[in-house]
Amino acid sequence: MRKFKIIVNGQSYEVEVEEISSKENSPVIPNTVTREEKKIEKPQPKPEVKEEIKAQAGQEIVEAPMPGNIWKIVAQEGQQLKAGDVILILEAMKMENEILAPRDGKLSKMLTKEGSTVNTGDKLAIIE
Amino acid sequence: MNDKINELIKAKENIKLGGGIKRIEKQHSSGKLTARERINLLLDEDSFIEIDAFVKHRSTNFDMASVEAPADGVVTGYGTVDGRLVFVYAQDFTVVGGSLGEMHANKIVKVQDMALKMGAPIVGFNDSGGARIQEGVDALSGYGKIFYRNTIASGVIPQISVIMGPCAGGAVYSPALTDFIFMTEKTSMMFITGPQVIKSVTGEEVTQEELGGAMTHNRTSGVAHFMDKTEEETIKRVRELLSYLPSNNLEMPPVVRTNDDINRTDEMLNDIVPENPNKPYDMKEVIKSIADENEFFEVQPLYAGNIITGFIRLNGKTIGVIANQPKVLAGCLDINASDKAGRFIRTCDAYNIPLLNLVDVPGFLPGTNQEYGGIIRHGAKVLYAYSESTVPKVTLITRKAYGGAYLAMCSKDLGADQVFAWPTAEIAVMGPDGAANIIFKNEIANSDDPIKTRMEKIEEYRNTVANPFIAAQRGFVDDIIVPSHTRPRLISAFDMLETKRETRPSKKHGNLPV
Repeated sequence: MRKFKIIVNGQSYEVEVEEISSKENSPVIPNTVTREEKKIEKPQPKPEVKEEIKAQAGQEIVEAPMPGNIWKIVAQEGQQLKAGDVILILEAMKMENEILAPRDGKLSKMLTKEGSTVNTGDKLAIIE
Repeated sequence: MNDKINELIKAKENIKLGGGIKRIEKQHSSGKLTARERINLLLDEDSFIEIDAFVKHRSTNFDMASVEAPADGVVTGYGTVDGRLVFVYAQDFTVVGGSLGEMHANKIVKVQDMALKMGAPIVGFNDSGGARIQEGVDALSGYGKIFYRNTIASGVIPQISVIMGPCAGGAVYSPALTDFIFMTEKTSMMFITGPQVIKSVTGEEVTQEELGGAMTHNRTSGVAHFMDKTEEETIKRVRELLSYLPSNNLEMPPVVRTNDDINRTDEMLNDIVPENPNKPYDMKEVIKSIADENEFFEVQPLYAGNIITGFIRLNGKTIGVIANQPKVLAGCLDINASDKAGRFIRTCDAYNIPLLNLVDVPGFLPGTNQEYGGIIRHGAKVLYAYSESTVPKVTLITRKAYGGAYLAMCSKDLGADQVFAWPTAEIAVMGPDGAANIIFKNEIANSDDPIKTRMEKIEEYRNTVANPFIAAQRGFVDDIIVPSHTRPRLISAFDMLETKRETRPSKKHGNLPV
């Protein structure tokens, strides 16, 4: 045990310092490094405002089979369609792809418009 | 002596009744035929010879000792279709639900072995509740033996599965290992785990029909190849398919004489490709136009419509057709189309059926779902199957043949024996629009009227590169033909190729990307 006198900002302090023998009690320094976890605020996904369109009983949703542009809408809302009638033309892969009615029924709603870009699986129209 | 004969006749009559009149009526009222009725519809009249009718199960577990199961729930034997030997088995749902036990499986195994030994096709009718649980591991072993033989016989004799009732759990893998699967609307069902299990595990609610009905497997999953409304129509289609196939891999398919003129030309073909390259047309019209009697037997018509597969005859001989369909997905190759085509090409090659490839392909379908789904390894199957096949291969390019997809559709370099092109063909690394944007990037950017310059350059590219003449100059195209003369030219090519011999280095087997 050794005694020291320390003056800090004019104030005098008496300090006792004990020397620990390095043989017996040397602290074990762990061989690992820890890093303080910084908390990062994750941006919360905004709740989807868009309503998920689901087929009601008796309805069938026509989806885009491939990515492309709606080049031309051929059928009108409310129109009575036969299976195989053209609903719209999707331009993709430099081809005017006719999107056909999968079955007989009324074209109850058109979910896209001319000029829009669509992806595979995007909903294009509802038939009931 | 007469007593013994009468006894025998009586015993056979009893076995023929299967599970009894009540159960037969129930089968009929649910729109299904019995096992024996199905076999009789498939085979030529009175040609069916049953074997192993007296086989009985030998399980004594639970109450099985007292269970009478005539023919042990499966009718097996042989007969003829159009006079050609065919082996057959049909599970009998009226007998213990057609469930598969040890002896039931042994009967199937016996006809499988016979079919392989005699080199004749085998047709199996599946209508079974699944494994006979009372027989435990003996029943499981039965399935294993059938799967093993399905695999050994694959590519040696045509194996056809007809699903005409439930086929669930492990049982589905026997049909899956065979060459063709037929299903009947509303009455046939295939799934690994049924709706109840799915509901308890994932919470999804789905009906049996939605999960594993004929439409699901013909349109969505691609597991099945054919679908018909009734069992009669389904069986008729099985007979039709057999007429296109040889009895085994060492024979050629039967030749069906035709009155259709081999020199018949069709002016319609000169106008079928629209002036505007962005307009689709129906490739099936081309196929029907060149086929004998305009008949096309389509395989997997409802699945991956962007590629068409099926059989036609040219001068009476079976030809397997693989064709891009510009009407669907612009005729792009995608994952499902690649699987469909790859499988069909290998089926044809296994059974010595020459290949006709009709090409109008703008490329592989772009999209993250395609890349993540592994279009690279799926598309590779088409290249692999074409390169590996040694049957005569003739390719006709009707319009677009761009980039990797041009190579994939049996180009000269993948081993096409003859490549023809119509004058409308555009063979290039990519379409004129994309190519002009790259090659003439500076001219377009520095132009006073970039849009006009771009259009001019696209046209310039189309005229100089995107045509069949450059490929023909290099010999990648053997001849440019007048579309109306396609039929005679194809028949001539396949006749010339009839004696084709091509060998491959010997190996255990290649490593098909799956």
